[in-house]
Amino acid sequence: MAGPIRVLMSKPGIDGHWRGIVVVSRGLRDAGMEVIFGGFQTCEQIVETAIEEDVDMIGLSIHSGAHIGYTKRVVDLLKEKGLNGHFLLLVGGAIPSKDFEVLKEIGAANVYGPGSLIKDIVAFIKEHVKK
Amino acid sequence: MRTDNLEELIAKFKQKDRRALARLISLIENDPELAGKVFKHFNKPNDAYIIGITGPPGVGKSTLINQLAQKLAEEGKRIGIISIDPSSPFSGGAFLGDRIRMSGLQQDKIFMRSMASRGAVGGLSRATFDICLLYEAFGMDIVIVETVGAGQSEVEVLHLADTILVINVPGLGDSIQCQKAGIIEIGDILVVNKKDLGGEEIAVQLDLILDDAVMYIGQTGWRPPVVQTNSISGEGIDELIEEIWNHKEHIELAGILEQKRQKRLKDKLIALIQFKILNYVMQHIYPTIEKTKLNNIYENKYNVYDVAQSIYNDFFSQLKGRES
Ligand SMILES: Nc1nc2c(ncn2[C@@H]2O[C@H](COP(=O)(O)OP(=O)(O)O)[C@@H](O)[C@H]2O)c(=O)[nH]1
Ligand SMILES: [Mg+2]
Repeated sequence: MAGPIRVLMSKPGIDGHWRGIVVVSRGLRDAGMEVIFGGFQTCEQIVETAIEEDVDMIGLSIHSGAHIGYTKRVVDLLKEKGLNGHFLLLVGGAIPSKDFEVLKEIGAANVYGPGSLIKDIVAFIKEHVKK
Repeated sequence: MRTDNLEELIAKFKQKDRRALARLISLIENDPELAGKVFKHFNKPNDAYIIGITGPPGVGKSTLINQLAQKLAEEGKRIGIISIDPSSPFSGGAFLGDRIRMSGLQQDKIFMRSMASRGAVGGLSRATFDICLLYEAFGMDIVIVETVGAGQSEVEVLHLADTILVINVPGLGDSIQCQKAGIIEIGDILVVNKKDLGGEEIAVQLDLILDDAVMYIGQTGWRPPVVQTNSISGEGIDELIEEIWNHKEHIELAGILEQKRQKRLKDKLIALIQFKILNYVMQHIYPTIEKTKLNNIYENKYNVYDVAQSIYNDFFSQLKGRES
């Protein structure tokens, strides 16, 4: 039996931008998902939380410009634990479109820059989460 | 890819694999019937001590757990945490925000899980109990359950706990009066958190209320203490832990712990029976009531009682049919 989709929403590294992650989290909740709000977390904490909470998706919200470094670190930690491909990984925030492909190559399933629509994020998650 | 093969998961669970624990929690949460299959693989139950924490949103329950669990882990205890937040009745989704207060808890001895109430029939209390059992089987010494202090179902969850902490904060003076009965009924220890913001007055007020509550104290012999804490600095947490162990000792000696645990199992048994019977009726009998019967109800709502009776009669005659 499949339950609701569970997602972890986290901000690796500290930057002041809360609005994006909160708005997206609410949108996912309103789409029927259980949103575990991680807030500021280290990459290690993100991976541990994803395991404990048994989430289907990890969402990283990054506005510091260090999105490539953080995404790579999370993917490396997942690989170390043999969890590569275990979670759907989405990255969002202040990300220039020139970096989208780089992030996807690292392991992000999709990337959401400024102006993204919540309904598109919801549709993508629903389509790609293996339930 | 993750595995949902039960044998495999249980083998890993027995080797203390945290991913297996996490996955089993999800499976049991999603499928009530699965718990029975899981627990067939365990034969020696061990008891964890269950601490329930309740109080209005924002009083600092999660922050307090962050302190409590760290201190208990330092003493060598293994701790499982369940933090429950309500599911939205409209979307079924939930915003589970307790973890942001618990950044100090990522370590081997502690396992923390956020749970949505998933409002449906019996959902809340059922999965909470099952997950407590799962934590026990995993070898946890202590299970901490955090609930939002609102509504009847919360009280149900609190029946799970051996020791219940009710959290208050300064500035809720009026509501204390309203909660009076509730507090005296369920709190084994009353915590006045956010000591840095005051709270002396409330602590005194609570003490006075408790002094008046002779009846209650007469029943259990336990006079709930009032403890002031600052969950950010950790002030008062040692005292709180001491009071938890005092309460534990008291209810052990008075035989109350034994009674509580028996009552808990009896409640669970009844809940399981209700669930199974309701499930059967909804699957096998309800669909057979013709549309006309439903129309009867819509036309005259007084018929709802008769229709319920006829569903029950159908159920009963099916039972009789099975016997012979
Ligand atoms: N000043 C002060 N703030 C606290 C204390 N404990 C918790 N808080 C704050 O109260 C807010 C709510 O805390 P939280 O643990 O999420 O409350 P919960 O809803 O009861 O779980 C957060 O901003 C905490 O940082 C305390 O002892 N003193
Ligand atoms: Mg909380």
